[in-house]
Amino acid sequence: MTSRRTLLKGAAAVGGLTAFAAGYGHTVAKTAEGLATGSAGTAPRDPRTFNAPKPEFTVDAATGALTPNPDQQVAFTMCQACNTMCGVRVRTDKATDAVLRVAGNPYHPLSADRQIPYATPVRDAYLSLTRHGEAGLAGRSTACGRGNAALSQINNPYRVTTCLKRVGPRGAGEWRSIPYEQLIEEVCEGGDLFGEGPVAGLRALRDLETPLDPANPEYGPVANQVAILNATSDGRDEFIKRFAFNAYGTRNYGHHGSYCGLSMRVGSGAIMNDLNGYPHGKPDFENVEFAIFIGSAPGNAGKPFKRQGRLLAQARSEGKLNYVVVEPVLTNASSMAADDRNRWIPIVPGGDNALAMGMIRWILDNERYDARYLAQPGPKAAEQAGEASFSNATHLVVTQDGHPRKGFFLRGSDIGLPLAEVEGAERWKKGDVFLCIDAADGSLRPFGKPGPAQLFHTGTVETPEGPVAVKTSLQLLKDSAEAHSMADYAAACGLDVSVIEGLAREFTAHGKKAAVDCHGGTMHANGFYTAFSVLMLNLLIGNWNMKGGMVDSIGGFPDYAPGPRYDLAKFPGQVAPKGIFLSRSKFPYQKTSEFKRRKEAGESPYPTKAPWYPLSPPMLTEYLTAAVNGYPYGLKALVSFMANPVYGHAGLRGAVADKLKDPKVLPLFVAIDAFINETNCMADYIVPDSVMYEAWGWTSPWSGTVTRASTARWPVIEPRQVKAADGDRVTMEKFFIDVGLRLGLPGFGDAVIADADGTLHPLKRPEDCYLRAGANVAYAGTPVPDASDDDIALSGVGRIVPELEKALKPEEVRKVAFVFARGGRFQDHAEAYDGEAVMADNRVTAKAGFCIYNEAVATAVNTMTGKRHSGVPAWYPLTLADGTPLRDRFPEAEWPFLVASYKSNMQSSYSIGSPRLRQVHPNNPISVSVADAARLGIASGDAVRLVTPGGSVVATALVRHGIRPGAIAVEHGYGHTELGARRHVIDGVAQPDLGGFSAGVNLNDVGLMDPTREGVSTLGDWVIGSAARQALPARLEKVAAT
Amino acid sequence: MDTSRRDFLAGACSITAGAAVCVASAETAQAATPARRGGESGQRFAMVIDLRKCIGCQACTVACSTENQVPLGDFRTIVSQYEVRDADRPDQPAATYTLPRLCNHCDDPPCVEVCPVQATYQQKDGKVLVDADRCVGCAYCVQACPYDARYINPETQTADKCTFCTHRVEAGLLPACVETCVGGARVFGDLLDPNSTVSGLLRDHAVKVLRPEMGTAPHVFYIGLDDRFAGKVEGQAALWIVRDAQGAEIGEIRS
Repeated sequence: MTSRRTLLKGAAAVGGLTAFAAGYGHTVAKTAEGLATGSAGTAPRDPRTFNAPKPEFTVDAATGALTPNPDQQVAFTMCQACNTMCGVRVRTDKATDAVLRVAGNPYHPLSADRQIPYATPVRDAYLSLTRHGEAGLAGRSTACGRGNAALSQINNPYRVTTCLKRVGPRGAGEWRSIPYEQLIEEVCEGGDLFGEGPVAGLRALRDLETPLDPANPEYGPVANQVAILNATSDGRDEFIKRFAFNAYGTRNYGHHGSYCGLSMRVGSGAIMNDLNGYPHGKPDFENVEFAIFIGSAPGNAGKPFKRQGRLLAQARSEGKLNYVVVEPVLTNASSMAADDRNRWIPIVPGGDNALAMGMIRWILDNERYDARYLAQPGPKAAEQAGEASFSNATHLVVTQDGHPRKGFFLRGSDIGLPLAEVEGAERWKKGDVFLCIDAADGSLRPFGKPGPAQLFHTGTVETPEGPVAVKTSLQLLKDSAEAHSMADYAAACGLDVSVIEGLAREFTAHGKKAAVDCHGGTMHANGFYTAFSVLMLNLLIGNWNMKGGMVDSIGGFPDYAPGPRYDLAKFPGQVAPKGIFLSRSKFPYQKTSEFKRRKEAGESPYPTKAPWYPLSPPMLTEYLTAAVNGYPYGLKALVSFMANPVYGHAGLRGAVADKLKDPKVLPLFVAIDAFINETNCMADYIVPDSVMYEAWGWTSPWSGTVTRASTARWPVIEPRQVKAADGDRVTMEKFFIDVGLRLGLPGFGDAVIADADGTLHPLKRPEDCYLRAGANVAYAGTPVPDASDDDIALSGVGRIVPELEKALKPEEVRKVAFVFARGGRFQDHAEAYDGEAVMADNRVTAKAGFCIYNEAVATAVNTMTGKRHSGVPAWYPLTLADGTPLRDRFPEAEWPFLVASYKSNMQSSYSIGSPRLRQVHPNNPISVSVADAARLGIASGDAVRLVTPGGSVVATALVRHGIRPGAIAVEHGYGHTELGARRHVIDGVAQPDLGGFSAGVNLNDVGLMDPTREGVSTLGDWVIGSAARQALPARLEKVAAT
Repeated sequence: MDTSRRDFLAGACSITAGAAVCVASAETAQAATPARRGGESGQRFAMVIDLRKCIGCQACTVACSTENQVPLGDFRTIVSQYEVRDADRPDQPAATYTLPRLCNHCDDPPCVEVCPVQATYQQKDGKVLVDADRCVGCAYCVQACPYDARYINPETQTADKCTFCTHRVEAGLLPACVETCVGGARVFGDLLDPNSTVSGLLRDHAVKVLRPEMGTAPHVFYIGLDDRFAGKVEGQAALWIVRDAQGAEIGEIRS
């Protein structure tokens, strides 16, 4: 790599420069006035420091004594400016309850360089952030740009603070405030609520007995026609699940995952042999030596944003890390200042699958894989070999055509071995061993015995039923990789063969201290096999659970789950949801009534009206289209909490937005949110809610965090929304509690939370849940100490002590206060590693081994084609649901570009309301390459029309070298039509017109429908259904300036 | 792996001397400017920014804006971001270059000399400040600053700029931008303390400053500063044109 990069003339300085260059612009005109009269303006609070508030602490330079400012309070709670959910310190003005500024919590692993020991008194924690002994430099704990700016959400002029009921048709933007109690009554009891005819309320719809469709009883009861949508894992989701699944009893709870990064999660789940929990990892940034980020941009975006960014910055400057970022567009994951330590590799959008398969092929061809790791067939062998995990590389798979077990692993019972003597042993399932060929003597043997096994094998095995053709998993991977030449792979991803080989060579030159990561860049029409193939590379070097390799998140301490003090997961009379998810997930189509009917009628059971997704979790991406199409069934009511799929899910606006406005399609829509967004603008009712630092919640961190952590969100300021008649603030939790109480649902009321002795306690206020979850956190393992008086006073926890005393047992109060005083509970960093591996508790394992070959994937059937999927990674083009290559339907001649979406390093999908963010980064001109711009006569600043088969949008062009020719890139977070972009009329008064909220474009507005599917649909991955917001076919037209 | 980089730096006008030399030059410079007033002598505050660690997240920008209640649209610090490619090797991919900017708290500050009312002054600890009670908003200092680090505050109608968060530093705290620097790029401290982190960084690294040819002896030092970014950058400014749905410009963002 070169050291002589020069500035790109005529192309983009992205951000900032304007501010410092423009500072002079408006000064001259004011000068005369100023000279004549002294200063013409308003005098600042202090002539030297202007309007900065007084500091929150003062530290005596000599003694290090810390004196808090008596007018201010600092408290550790949780950010929610994006989905990372970092621990932050919030500084407030006591007199006004205003948030002055937000930075990081030094106890918190997502915010601190290296978190301070948990036992540290709060006073010393504050001191660790100061200049005293320069502690605050190494000990700094940060908030990102967005986290710094998020405080404006509290007093955002567009915030909803009263209970709203729509006036006029849905989506018209007119509302009136109603009493909270009226809202609860109308939502529960229904009636002719809008003069449009009768609407069934939540009481009538909570029918757990009547099948919603007698012809298809497996769909479950009527209650399933109430869907409850959540935005993200914000630490309040367990409360919603409690209501949805176990109190109300609907199957259909959904969140943003399927339009966020689901392809990565299912691809990772396929590798990790866990298609229920879908675990994934991140490189161990503290120790990795070479990392490849494919469709992932640490330091620019991703979760956890700060931890990744900080560790990347350190590793590329003072550490050992070299890395490449493989993306169609250049982002802040690149650093010219770190020079030779990093490099951007511009790839064709959607080309990642081919790159990964090329690398896999080269690694196998050149025997650069970790043979010692892959040869260990089971846990005993792995332990003996000193490995921290094992794979099924050596396990034998039945490959014989026509054999009923084709595609399944060969099991002990297939060759006449008895089942293991374990409870629940069952043929081809539990207790039926996998088989491999011993490396030493070539014998067929169970995987669980110590000693290595053969990696590659194609042959036959004698069984009581005769010989059966088999191959090892690794052999199948090799066959799959060899299905295409290196030149084919190179052509498909637009990179030279030498680049693919070079990456593979470097990746396999660091032992286990290398890692490859992928994320949102895989969210395209071939996302699953992309992620499956990319993440397979980690398995080939055996880096899981190792220092410098791939690490999961160890998670948090038990909070809602049955904990040492309370069981918040189970309650008397709880129900279990039954039936099929709207998204047709996790249920084999072959067990449906429809399948049987079609078979009995003598017709082919394939294709289905819409794909079934046996490998996928429930997916919000299919809920609303399913509801409109009525397949598998329609919806009678929707309750959403902060969810905004119409903004976040590519193509959904075009597919369903107008239809959801029709009460005949969706009779009732209740939204809980502090803001009116692109989805809940179509609601019938809006329940106001607490925002960020006003709310309760418990979260655990994302992958790549090497110590256990539970982050506490607690109200460090008073919520701004209305109170109910009973004096409590209206919140999401209160809404679900009061609906539960009114309908007499289990789980809410006087005796519903069991403590460790079985004594039942009430859940009638949010605090009843969240504080007891806090007790579980505080008492997990070795209980935390009691908070000192000084901890309580300095941390601001004093303001919630009355609530603690109301909800908790006396002995719990100070322990829970200890946790809140520190913003949660955090394991010390010193415990993170055990030798060359991560600590034992943080190792991910799979009883049957990580998957070179995934049997569940291999034996699942694509219900659109009736064909099975490949059980090993393979290369596919971007593909529509019925198997048609995307480019066959949308050819390059007509749609010469592929559009990529990338996450903003500043705006999240809901942060546009912050003026201090907008001033830095007000909109998102779309990136066009220099070559394409020249061809089309487009200059930076020109208005251009971006056209896809899903629609068109007018944007500003930014001509860059930082994008691959043939690609267009759109930064996410702009192009809002709500959240302040539209002025709603509430109680006859129009919201203010502040401008700027609608700036830029939202690529999702021109996302595609899938033309091979019936009814309304959005384009998704052809295997698992995750939304496609990447690699969308498009063309670009210059717009004449108006 | 990075030898070529080092060669390149060695040939450029890098400041390789340690703190002592910097401060010595400051002492000579001081004679030509109005007397320093306020602040403690025996300290010389400075910032070192390691550009390799900057991720361009603008946390510093927003924290400063919030802490100092800077009017919207004006900035005491900001991170300029550039897209760069090698002119000699145009086949190579571009890279991102981020450059945090703020007042350099120069030892020979041109802004101080031009102030007709001595509102802009330098403290004994090196911080260059504005006394809003004296400032008449003439903007001579704004013009004199080679770094575009000053603006006229539209609320107070006085010159405004980075103070190194003097209110925080005097209280024993760190500047807001340093506290919240996600990559750990910004380091602040006392150059007269040989044991300070900034002194150590100046000893260990070939730091550089912006516009060294101006002879202002800036006290914001950069690790990894490319000379082509040390002066006026020949780049195209960012595009913040906002358009309506038909593509018509609807002007600048209002906040």
